[in-house]
Amino acid sequence: MAATDTDAQPIADAPHPARRILAMLWRDKFAFAAALFLLLMVFCALFGPMLLEDAATRQNLRGRNAPPFDFSKPWLFWLGGDALGRPLLARIVVAAQNTLMVAAGAVASSLLIGGALGLIAGYTARLASQVIMRLADVIMSFPSLLLAVIVLYMLEPAVGNLIIVLAITRIPVYLRTSRAEVLEVRERMFVQAAQVMGASTRRIVFRHILPVIFPTLITIATLDFAFVMLAESSLSFLGIGIQPPEITWGLMVAQGRPYLTTAWWLSFWPGLAIILTTLSLNLLSNWMRTALDPVQRWRLELPRSRK
Amino acid sequence: MIRRTVCIAAAMLAAAGASQVAAQEDSITVVLSEELDIVDPCEASRSNVGRVVLQNIAETMTELVPGSGLQPRLAESWEDKGNGTWRFNLRSGVSFHDGTALDAADVAHSLERIKSEQISCEIGAKFFGGIDLTTNVVDDTTIEITADPAQPILPLLMSTVTVVPSETAMDSFVETPVGTGPYTFDEYARGQHIKLSLNPDYWGEEPAVRNATYVFRSDSAVRAAMVAAGEADIAPNIALQDASDASMDFSYPNSESVYMRPDTTMAPLDDIRVRQALNYAVDREAFVGTILADGTLLSTALVPPSTIGYNHDLEPYPFDLEKARALLEEARADGVPVDTEITLIGRTNNWGNVLETMEALLAMWQDAGFNMSLQMVEVAEWLEHYSNPFPEDRRPEIVAAQHDNANGDPVFSVFFKYASEGLQSAVRDPELDAMILDATTATGDEREAKWAELFKYIHTDKVYDVQLFHMVGFSRVNPRLDFTPTIRTNSELQLSQVSFN
Amino acid sequence: MKGFLGKRAIASAISLVGLIILVFFLSRLTGDPTDLYLPLDASQEARENFRNIHGLNDPLMVQFGRFVGDLARLDFGMSIRRAEPALDAVLRGFAWTLQLAAITMVLVTLLAIVIGSLAAFRVGGLFDRLATFFSLIGASAPDFWIAIVAIVLFSVNLGWVPTSGTGTPWHWILPIGVLFIRPFGLILQVVRGSMISTLSSAYIKTARAKGVKNRPIIFVHALRNAMLPVITVIGDQAAGLLNGAVVVESIFGFPGVGKLMIDSILQRDFAVVLAAIMVTALAIFVMNLLIDVLYAVLDPRIRY
Repeated sequence: MAATDTDAQPIADAPHPARRILAMLWRDKFAFAAALFLLLMVFCALFGPMLLEDAATRQNLRGRNAPPFDFSKPWLFWLGGDALGRPLLARIVVAAQNTLMVAAGAVASSLLIGGALGLIAGYTARLASQVIMRLADVIMSFPSLLLAVIVLYMLEPAVGNLIIVLAITRIPVYLRTSRAEVLEVRERMFVQAAQVMGASTRRIVFRHILPVIFPTLITIATLDFAFVMLAESSLSFLGIGIQPPEITWGLMVAQGRPYLTTAWWLSFWPGLAIILTTLSLNLLSNWMRTALDPVQRWRLELPRSRK
Repeated sequence: MIRRTVCIAAAMLAAAGASQVAAQEDSITVVLSEELDIVDPCEASRSNVGRVVLQNIAETMTELVPGSGLQPRLAESWEDKGNGTWRFNLRSGVSFHDGTALDAADVAHSLERIKSEQISCEIGAKFFGGIDLTTNVVDDTTIEITADPAQPILPLLMSTVTVVPSETAMDSFVETPVGTGPYTFDEYARGQHIKLSLNPDYWGEEPAVRNATYVFRSDSAVRAAMVAAGEADIAPNIALQDASDASMDFSYPNSESVYMRPDTTMAPLDDIRVRQALNYAVDREAFVGTILADGTLLSTALVPPSTIGYNHDLEPYPFDLEKARALLEEARADGVPVDTEITLIGRTNNWGNVLETMEALLAMWQDAGFNMSLQMVEVAEWLEHYSNPFPEDRRPEIVAAQHDNANGDPVFSVFFKYASEGLQSAVRDPELDAMILDATTATGDEREAKWAELFKYIHTDKVYDVQLFHMVGFSRVNPRLDFTPTIRTNSELQLSQVSFN
Repeated sequence: MKGFLGKRAIASAISLVGLIILVFFLSRLTGDPTDLYLPLDASQEARENFRNIHGLNDPLMVQFGRFVGDLARLDFGMSIRRAEPALDAVLRGFAWTLQLAAITMVLVTLLAIVIGSLAAFRVGGLFDRLATFFSLIGASAPDFWIAIVAIVLFSVNLGWVPTSGTGTPWHWILPIGVLFIRPFGLILQVVRGSMISTLSSAYIKTARAKGVKNRPIIFVHALRNAMLPVITVIGDQAAGLLNGAVVVESIFGFPGVGKLMIDSILQRDFAVVLAAIMVTALAIFVMNLLIDVLYAVLDPRIRY
């Protein structure tokens, strides 16, 4: 993403950059599987609602909570049916779109805003820094539920507002993390050297500081994906954002909660989708961190290509 | 901090051995779904307070007993003196937990207190709104109560009034409730438990349970697990899907009725054909035994069948999709804007499986050709849709609601839900208003007939709402106890009715 | 440092006041509590009366003035719902929450740092793979799953620990166990990532090249440098716990401040909302201050 731009140049002169990346991905089988899974999820998000919307909303009250692994049924029911007799597999596929949109929207906005504010707070004058940090304290202490209820009363219930609420509550962690890293990195030798040599602030931030702090932010962001997907459902119950029969994985998990001891599959499969997505994002980001770090890239390259 | 925690932990470890032994033969633990925020007897009409306080700690003058009607409790007898005045004769030899004797002045004080402007008690607001009460203490055991306007059902209303000693403060809620009941309120460790123990001076028969502890768990699965693990003896209220063990789980009609209230003042819901179509489009039978429990009854009115004046001749609307579609088409041909989007408003956690119920209803109505969307909201937001005054710029809405009337008379429901001035009414019908007034002031068989006629008018003649179900609740009871939940279990849990096997 | 602390205290006090003012006015935008407390059928007089008792009829500025006046005496007013002083209810809950959060975070911090650093020592090794895999699954699984499954397994079936409630140390095991999992997964990942970067950075390599063979020394040096992002994230997770662990509290019937706060927000019990936010905010502000001090202790080059 952002880091790809800054770090792409060193490998730009290699013969086949795309091939090289694919080769590196292939070397890490876990990351490769993760990439495949994420591609599948993106496919579901793009085309799922188009293909399976009907099947996912057709109710059959007498066939509710159908158990999974009954292969005599149509394949859509292989993961079982939900409390209204709708096929879980179809619902998970259809729900991918809303889920990924909300989660990616919320995580990306909090990452970008929080990260940028953290850079500023860490790198600039004391007053601005003080203001930003105290603002972060305030957000950190402001209950997200209260924020949600206020938004509910002041604005129309819409998916955009859901993303805003989720994003705001997660800003402080990115802000504080990136600022802490900046405080440390800006004292490092190479940054000081660059400063002495007259590099612009912008260049120092983007060339030297950002690449160092980015991996930590990404690590937090990947796990925040799971958090946001689950938190989103509690806001839906308040009446903000996604409303049934529209569906997300988080909502499916929450709706399956009362059935946990009697029909575990209702919340297990969507929960598994959340876990696998998070796991894949994390594995891929770990791989990316290695692949993008010139010092560590050797781990993923053939010994002979190592200089 | 850590050191302190370790100290606390050590102390608790020492105490642990003792508390394990404490689970004695004649003590029981009840696990409730909601913590008690207030323990004052004048709030006992709220189900979470009532289950602890009502008839256990504070008693009432009369008592509505399922199956046998209104029975004496603290009052031994009563008679109608005319002009809205009733005379009650109190039981003698009854004393409060603080040692003072019960007399007529205590009853007068209790009535005054539930109407106190300084604390706003639930019992006063719920059952005595718009009623002026004056009392006349004739002697220690005789009191005359006059209601203005006259209340033909005043003895029934008195079954809701908890009697407290005349020393009870008028301007604040009590933290330790005192009453005449078979149990005394011993300890409230907020957030953790409430403990009651036997009142040695109780006027009535001595109950089998000597000590009771109440704990609070909001998750139904946990409540069920606690009884299964032997940590609790009664879970009065668990979810349908957790009631999976026939040896422990009881179902009972819980006096709650679910209905859908269309806004009959807004097009297209102001057209009777559209409302009929709403009724015919719902496959009520399909809910029973699936999303809702076996034993759930299809309803024709929002009061349970045990209420006087319940019209047993009415039939629930059959599921007839063709008819629903035809009615809609007919309305459309007459220029009714049937394609206007209607919002279905549901309330989170209103009843077990509320979301499933609402989603299923939505699908059925969409299937019949309604342009409808669902909005699930929390209680404060829901109230804005459910209660008058409705906003001027509203869109056509159907509000889902559950109504509880365990008090045996429709008067507790009908005015509020159907009168033009009723707070939760979306009906503006002067004819109906007159019928309500008429039935409210009638007595005896005439009263019964008038209510029955009124229910037919609402359900069949004007189709003012979509009546759905009389609900069923589930309790889990430890097999060592002999206790059968009843329709009253929703609002009270009399420990004196519990015995051991 | 003294100057820093003084300035910081003033800035924190200002933002705390700002937070309280913000919450006071914003929360009033979420509607009138009257309808939530009175029965649906309450008359208009009863409603008016209720508003008078609780001062809801006064103009907002008058209510605010009264609130500030009371606050000067550390009085947050009475809880509407609970008929007791709001601050009493909040402090009672907060005492439980603080203990729960402290025990959990100590365990999380110790285990995540040790296991995370060990994983970073051999990236891609079996230990690394296993640690990453399980901590990530735990961290992204819905917490109520773990809680309910733990109750059914350990309490109902095995009978090892009580299902829920308070009273003995045994009662704490499941709540702490469930609360532990998410922060553990996140912090372990941050420790691991941070250690990987540090271990491959120039000066550790130099140290190794210079012949410092002693693993513990490398470990300690690297750890010290890797700690900045780690303690930041620990702070974030601790703040989450201080705000209340709602799922754990409601499932295990644990009387913490989180469920109290949620209930009072939904019940529009403004006095409790304000008291709860004030108390938790104070704790979070102090914690963030400690973290900033800790930065300077860990890395003397950091100046404020």
